[in-house]
Amino acid sequence: MKRTLILVMICAVALVFAVSCKPKTKPTPPPPPQVKEQPKVEKVVEPAPVKKPEPTEEELFMSKSLEALNKEKPLAMIYFDYDKYFIRDDAKPVLEANSTWLKKWRTTKILIEGHCDERGTEEYNLALGEKRAKSSSDYLVSLGVPADRLRTISYGKSQPLDMGHDEAAWAKNRRAQFLIIEK
Amino acid sequence: MKRKRRLPLLLSLGTAVLLGAAQQDIWLLIDGGRPAYSFALPAFVPANEASRASAEEAARIFEADIQYTRIFQLLPKTYYSYIRTLDPKAIQFKEWESIQASLLFVGELAESAAGDITFEGRLLDVKSERQIVGRRYQAKKADLRYMMHRMADEIMKAYGEKPVFTSKIAFISNRDGNDEVYFMDYDGARQERFTFNAVRDYMPAFTPGGQHLAYTSYRSLVPGVYIDDIYENKRTAVSVKGMNFAPSFSADGKKLAFSSSMDGNAEIYVADVEFNPTRVGRVRRLTFNQAVDTAPSWSPNGREIVFTSDRGGTAQIYIMDAEGTNPRRISFGANHHDAPAWSPNGDKIVYVARVDNVFDLYLYHVQSGQIKKLTESNARNESPSWSPDGRHLVFTSNMRGGIQIFSIDADGQNLRPLTTVGENKLPDWSH
Repeated sequence: MKRTLILVMICAVALVFAVSCKPKTKPTPPPPPQVKEQPKVEKVVEPAPVKKPEPTEEELFMSKSLEALNKEKPLAMIYFDYDKYFIRDDAKPVLEANSTWLKKWRTTKILIEGHCDERGTEEYNLALGEKRAKSSSDYLVSLGVPADRLRTISYGKSQPLDMGHDEAAWAKNRRAQFLIIEK
Repeated sequence: MKRKRRLPLLLSLGTAVLLGAAQQDIWLLIDGGRPAYSFALPAFVPANEASRASAEEAARIFEADIQYTRIFQLLPKTYYSYIRTLDPKAIQFKEWESIQASLLFVGELAESAAGDITFEGRLLDVKSERQIVGRRYQAKKADLRYMMHRMADEIMKAYGEKPVFTSKIAFISNRDGNDEVYFMDYDGARQERFTFNAVRDYMPAFTPGGQHLAYTSYRSLVPGVYIDDIYENKRTAVSVKGMNFAPSFSADGKKLAFSSSMDGNAEIYVADVEFNPTRVGRVRRLTFNQAVDTAPSWSPNGREIVFTSDRGGTAQIYIMDAEGTNPRRISFGANHHDAPAWSPNGDKIVYVARVDNVFDLYLYHVQSGQIKKLTESNARNESPSWSPDGRHLVFTSNMRGGIQIFSIDADGQNLRPLTTVGENKLPDWSH
């Protein structure tokens, strides 16, 4: 016990000694003479980013979501006569344009929706809407679009485009719509 | 004297063809010992003051049911003032007879502090002083409406009628944003949602007894016909190839007719269905042509099917044998007909005909072949469905603007709207 105490005291003394024996500070040197120096002209060149090639049409196409793609409406809808489901002459060029698009984008799959106006009954209109979707699908197949890329569905008269109750509204509602569901 | 009183009552029942089989049935029932229709319905007797409000509410529900039957004639309430107030313990039958009551309904209701309700109802024959129907029910206050409908249906059954008031009407509504299946009572009360999915559901059809519901659902972009167990979470896919619409059960519940394009064109098929465990047996094709065949509905004896077809160029109504043979056209005149529904007693078929862009309901009488116009509204009335007793129909109409469901009696009386929220359509009445 006593020995420890002595050891501690020796250490304390040694520490005090060490602190008090700091080396003497040297006199400060004179300040260097002020030299007027011209600033160096630096050449600043921003490194040019690696030039990206323009995105191809295909890349652009693939980057879009199905929703965004459908919003652009690349596939126009076609219209039908009252109570009928045959392809009208004015619908043929539209379907040809649609088939060209479908042949360009070979991975796409579409859903063809058949719609009717309100002047048919609920039950019959579902069948009529289906006939409209099917005849649109058949026409596209006849233009060379593989049938396995085309699906059909009928919504009867439940999804009118135009809420009106006149011939103009009905003519708009008797239609086939083309929805891209895969790409 | 008695005969004289019967006649106007029968006329008021009058579904236009008083000589039809159904009316003869009623006549026999009347002559079979229950010669009275005049129905006395005095205020229900509450057990204490705390039960009074519920007793009044119960009486209102029950009175509306009796009024709806078209079998009973409620005695004018003013007559009650001529006699002593009803004492359930000591009924003065002679007094009730003196004010021309043939039937007397005595209701007693007690409500506990916890909201438990005890109801006792007795239907009494005034002349013979005998009880025809007696029931005692216990229910929570929330089930008061259902309890009174049960009571009313017991009376229907005692008179050889199918229960109407505990039946349900399934329909499609978009009130919550998407087309889903909902249920409601015969009077539009207690509307509740049944399906909860993001796809559109269409054309519900109850099984006889109302345990299961078939409907079209656009799952995975294919309109398939499914059967759901209403009380358990069980679903069966009947047909999911092609487009599948318009399911209709046979009266014995063993067969489901529907329209499908599984083979490429809308044809009528019949699936053998068995329940518990729900499974689908053989599916048979009944129609073979390039035209649209849809909207099948079974005759009550299961031997025939009425349906829509445009095989002749325009949509017309046809009947064929249940095997698909012997099709014959029954609709004439207009160039667009649809949605036939065979009445539960088999004597009539209701369907929609379009004339000058107006849809109305027509009744085709199976025996005589006569056709009678049922609705006159300058609107589009469609998708009719019969009540279990064949005295009423529900249908979809835009006669007051939006597409809503209405009910009407088979003689064209008592048109009433049942829905108001959102668009509501394609009603099917459980049998």
